[in-house]
Amino acid sequence: MQDQTTGQELKDRLNLIETMIAEGRRNTESWGWTFVVWGVAYYLAVAWSAWGHSVWAWPATVFIAVIVSIVLAFLKVGNQPGTTLGRAIGSIWIALGISMFLLFLALGLSGRLTDQHLFVAVISAILGMANGASALILRWKVQFACAVVWWVAAVTTCFGTDAQSTIVFLVAIFLCQIVFGIYGVIAGAQERQRRGPIHA
Amino acid sequence: MPDLPELNPVVHGRLRLALLSLLSGVEEAEFTWLRTKTEATDGNLGAQLLKLEEAGYVAVEKKFVLRKPQTLYRITEPGRQALIEYVQALKQLLGPAIDA
Repeated sequence: MQDQTTGQELKDRLNLIETMIAEGRRNTESWGWTFVVWGVAYYLAVAWSAWGHSVWAWPATVFIAVIVSIVLAFLKVGNQPGTTLGRAIGSIWIALGISMFLLFLALGLSGRLTDQHLFVAVISAILGMANGASALILRWKVQFACAVVWWVAAVTTCFGTDAQSTIVFLVAIFLCQIVFGIYGVIAGAQERQRRGPIHA
Repeated sequence: MPDLPELNPVVHGRLRLALLSLLSGVEEAEFTWLRTKTEATDGNLGAQLLKLEEAGYVAVEKKFVLRKPQTLYRITEPGRQALIEYVQALKQLLGPAIDA
């Protein structure tokens, strides 16, 4: 067979293999929007718990955010194939959502969600862990910077006043959810535009 | 002088090679996704996937999701091995020209 196949053809075949493997593994959907959705959810929960003084503020908001995320993800993913990498990242965030929902539901209902500093420290540490794990798997420095911001927030909130703790939490949400989410959406769109169509 | 390796004719077809390569990077993929990525026609894509299936290189699963038929393809272990051997044969054939 190779008698009829030129060297250029063989090189083309090699390039085709590389392009297609990369295409299959590439996560073709941008997940930046989920960070924005959850950022908005956190702000709503903070506002509700601050002014409404309801024990349901956090569990209800987290529950609604989980439902919104599942519906939007189902609509956006469509027929995208699953990859091992995608499942690894997805499992981190699904486990985080379940943990936060159960923890804050139990704390709220038991009436033990009274120490704001502890609350901010716990939620920031959990988010730092999830962002850190995801960043290490993806080797994504920007997301690792978000993990560092959450870890800093978790530590500093233990020492400041109530007002300082609130400011630290709100700033961390803004940087790591809203700004990072919008960055993810833009970066994803640019990546898809740059790639263009492939031909087999 | 060592013998030059033979290229597997089932893998060598351009569309079949693209399909095996695509499937090697995912757990499983729908027919429509493969069609989008390869920009092949339904008929050609179906025919090439059938050849790969007959060779035992891909496995097919047909199911209904929300009452819609869905055909899922995944690469088998022999298929992955065939792709690896094909790449090794290509590299051997190209030799120093691979970096040119």
